[in-house]
Amino acid sequence: MASSAARGRRAVIEAPGRQQQRQERLSGQHERLWAFLVLGGGALLPRPSGLHREPAPAAHQSAEPSFRQGPLPGQDPEVDSRKIDQEGRIPDETLEKLKSLGLFGTQVPEEYGGLGLSNTMYARLGEVIGLDASIAVTLAAHQAIGLKGIILAGSKEQKARYLPRLASGEHVAAFCLTEPASGSDAASIRTRATLSADKRHYILNGAKVWITNGGLANVFTVFAKTEVVDSDGSVKDKITAFIVERDFGGVTNGKPEDKMGIRGSNTCEVHFENTRVPVENVLGEVGGGFKVAMNILNSGRFSMGSTVAGMLKKLIEMTAEYACTRRQFGRSLSEFGLIQEKFALMAQKAYVMESMAYLTAAMLDAPGFPDCSIEAAMVKVFSSEGAWTCVSEALQVLGGAGYVRDYPHERLLRDSRILLIFEGTNEILRMYIALTGLQHAGRILTARVNELKRGNVTTIMETVGQRLRDSLGRTVDLGLTGKLGVVHPSLADGAHKLEENVYYFGRSVETLLLRFGKTIVEEQLVLKRVANVLINLYGMAAVLSRASRSIRLGLRDHDHEVLLASIFCSEAYHQNLFTLSQLDKHSPENLDELLKKVSQQILEKRAYICTHPLDRTS
Amino acid sequence: MRQLRLREIRAFYHGHAASRPLDWNSTPGLSLSPKGVKILAASLRAAVGGCPTGKGMSWAQAILLARGLSRGWGGICSTALTGAPFSQVPPQAPRGLRCSAAAHNPDSSLVPRPPEPPRRPVKALAVHEELFRPALDGTRDKANFVRAVQNFAEYNVHKRGHVDFIYLALRKMREYGVERDLSVYNLLLDVFPKEVFRPRNIFHSIFLHYPRQQECGIAVLEQMENHGVMPNNETEFLLVQIFGRKSYPMLKLVRMKLWFTRFKNINPFPVPRDLPQDPVDLASLALRHMEPDLSARVTTYQMPLPKDSPDTMDPTETHIVGIQSPEQQSALARHDPARPIFVEGPFSLWLRDKCVYYHILRADLLPPEEREVEEIPEEWNLYYPMQLDLAYGRSSWDDYKFDIDEVEEGPVFAICVAGAHDQATLAKWIQGLQETNPALARIPVVFRLSGSSGELLASSSELEEPPPPPPPPEGQEEEEDSQQRQQQGQS
Repeated sequence: MASSAARGRRAVIEAPGRQQQRQERLSGQHERLWAFLVLGGGALLPRPSGLHREPAPAAHQSAEPSFRQGPLPGQDPEVDSRKIDQEGRIPDETLEKLKSLGLFGTQVPEEYGGLGLSNTMYARLGEVIGLDASIAVTLAAHQAIGLKGIILAGSKEQKARYLPRLASGEHVAAFCLTEPASGSDAASIRTRATLSADKRHYILNGAKVWITNGGLANVFTVFAKTEVVDSDGSVKDKITAFIVERDFGGVTNGKPEDKMGIRGSNTCEVHFENTRVPVENVLGEVGGGFKVAMNILNSGRFSMGSTVAGMLKKLIEMTAEYACTRRQFGRSLSEFGLIQEKFALMAQKAYVMESMAYLTAAMLDAPGFPDCSIEAAMVKVFSSEGAWTCVSEALQVLGGAGYVRDYPHERLLRDSRILLIFEGTNEILRMYIALTGLQHAGRILTARVNELKRGNVTTIMETVGQRLRDSLGRTVDLGLTGKLGVVHPSLADGAHKLEENVYYFGRSVETLLLRFGKTIVEEQLVLKRVANVLINLYGMAAVLSRASRSIRLGLRDHDHEVLLASIFCSEAYHQNLFTLSQLDKHSPENLDELLKKVSQQILEKRAYICTHPLDRTS
Repeated sequence: MRQLRLREIRAFYHGHAASRPLDWNSTPGLSLSPKGVKILAASLRAAVGGCPTGKGMSWAQAILLARGLSRGWGGICSTALTGAPFSQVPPQAPRGLRCSAAAHNPDSSLVPRPPEPPRRPVKALAVHEELFRPALDGTRDKANFVRAVQNFAEYNVHKRGHVDFIYLALRKMREYGVERDLSVYNLLLDVFPKEVFRPRNIFHSIFLHYPRQQECGIAVLEQMENHGVMPNNETEFLLVQIFGRKSYPMLKLVRMKLWFTRFKNINPFPVPRDLPQDPVDLASLALRHMEPDLSARVTTYQMPLPKDSPDTMDPTETHIVGIQSPEQQSALARHDPARPIFVEGPFSLWLRDKCVYYHILRADLLPPEEREVEEIPEEWNLYYPMQLDLAYGRSSWDDYKFDIDEVEEGPVFAICVAGAHDQATLAKWIQGLQETNPALARIPVVFRLSGSSGELLASSSELEEPPPPPPPPEGQEEEEDSQQRQQQGQS
């Protein structure tokens, strides 16, 4: 349903009205590329009123003061993150408090006893919860993936049966997909569910690993292989999703894993041994588990942006406190340029990921259940990498003090490392971003590419003429600025950069598709660059939109926002230019062939190859 | 100056005193007598010393005279000047003054191999031979060798006959197991008297100065080269002291230093210098050497019986060592049981000076119409699409692959090295493979063993006799089939 809605919107863009046709003649392929840029998301660019449009509910206001970034000397916090980290578990009182605040059911519809928050509000709440990574992960595993399946694919009876108790926190949910032999490879799932003789139960057998909340949960969303009779009569193994209660019997879990970060969260193996699952507990259709899993995973990602931004804001406070009080050579650290630079970086990253997250949330909240999985993936990649860089830089400001446990920085560093890994590693998400985008662009460009390949003289002449004009230096104007433009004039510079990047990115994508066709799936280094440019473009669009809105609404300190937005646009612009030049054929900046050679040689020997610098032949 | 020259000549003369009788005896065909040499020496001495008036003139004359004389000997010198190899005990060539004679034989190495007995008893060498008498306990090791060399220097203060001693020592090195020891070579070079053979002027450098000594020096370096011993600074220092910078041994040294470094690591698949003696270890080394996949597992299917056990004669009780990678294992599991697989071999593999014979388990290439097209399952990757729904592929101008015609071969499923090459032994290997490859029980195995296993089989007494010619393959296949069926029935 989601994809059909998205396709409908794309169709509108693909079949423009007369006025749009005229525009297209003027500006080439911009319309298409815009569609490509904001793939699937109907909302094109700035939608000033889309951000923060709902009033904050009481729940998160009351929750906020109860979270403190623990162990700064002299503070006595209610939630002691340091203790949680050291003891490896969240105290029961804290969990009770979270439950009483309704935080276990933030996105459960109100009719089932949840808070029924919109995506935007959920993101806002994430900022507060993100102050303690263990709690954030526990809650996310419970509601962003654990019970999400029931909300997305569950029947009325299933919802009525499970959601109220899950929303109140009486039951905790867990998401069981990963297996020892199966990470993102669904074909190698070994857990198996066989229909019992009376056809009323499925017998579930198998083992799942790295299940967050595996030890606490009472309700599991489990994916297993079942035999499905195809339409042509052949029997196939297909994945089916089940809701499994612990009380069904045969559910055991291993001891909690000893992790590097997020130590307070409970991660363990879960085993199912002849667990009898009633047929009513099949989630979605039998054999339709793959789609359920994909939808759950895709929907859970966008909130990472705001969660990380919340953590970064707190981090900037703490680090600035240190930098302004620590004195060296008769000056405070904050007066040194190299230290100042780090704060600018942290603020910029936080600003960008916040903007991206809320833009995505607003798009998700738009009527019509839009498919924003690419945007969500972009937010996840950007925010996880931003978190890692920023925490590392903050720790650097503290120097040796950051390395010891008196300050929370080392814990934050350990905690933030998992962000690059879970919910789809960043590498895999980059593939997703690039390939889904290219698929869309490829469909649009098929006719044109075919004509070029067939040697249609007009098309070729057109293309050559376009390239010629491009190389002579053209100014790209997509209408972001100007009288009717959505970007405020004080951000015109950034907007022009975005426009130029978008235009040339479109050119590169066309060339890439022409060059590689469907074999581009194998060109992972190319895909990585496409994804990087896309993430930057989305970030630029998000900050331009947000900063323009701030200026127009007259928010406080909007000049600071303009600064951050300009900095990011400029940086991203140059990064994009470099990346695009790497995507050219025979580009001297592109070292892929050499890199491949080196890694091949190393992997063949499975060792570092060079001899020791002290080695000699004589 | 003159004194020095004379002493040099005398030293040289003495240096060869020991070996001279041999030369005379061994060259009856040449019209050269002791008397002739004496005349030559006298004339040289006269040329060098007996011309007090015109010094420079006399030197030139002397050298020219020497040149002329040597040419008169039938171009004996020329071979030495070109640095051609020569044999140590040439039966037909005399050793002339400052010239060595050699039959130009490119195949002969500088130093003959130790097992090769001298063609005739050499009395003169016996002088030094006793230095290399085996010690009381019969051990021959580095200490004994070093003692022999030191004894020579000790008892022979004038270093008389040092050239012969060095040649002898070079031949003895292998017996003492010091042929790869740089310090021993340096010790040998140290036997040469220092400063004596250095050229004093440009003419010495132009004309091979003390050729016999220089050749001996080259022989030492050559033996080092053959055993892959890289000279070090001490070697260089010794050579400078002995022969000077502008000499042939130095030239050789410089060349060795240049090329050794470049050739030392030229083999991308290096073999360890000392190969294991145990056949099982050697076999696993050979298998590792052949198999590129590092995940492959070496399995010893059968250990050889200890030597003293009574049924040593049973040829089936030899070692069987095999290797198989996980990929080969899964390929074998996928193999269509209707198609037979083959045990082929033996094929030879050389590891330094040892030859190992191996067998492979392989299948024929599937005909093109039966190959399965790998298709990407629909629901495979949870995170991103594995293929794009596009109508066009890679453009031809972005295809960087060279146009290479490759001969496709059938898959190889496993390799083994066994002590015997007969069918009974190899059947044991197949049985062992079945433990990890259950699919093998259903696949008919055909033994295609070739009669001759390589060029050295006949000459080497260690190896078993070649396996009997294989019976016609059809019958064998049936037999194997029935065997397999029996096994299936049992299991």
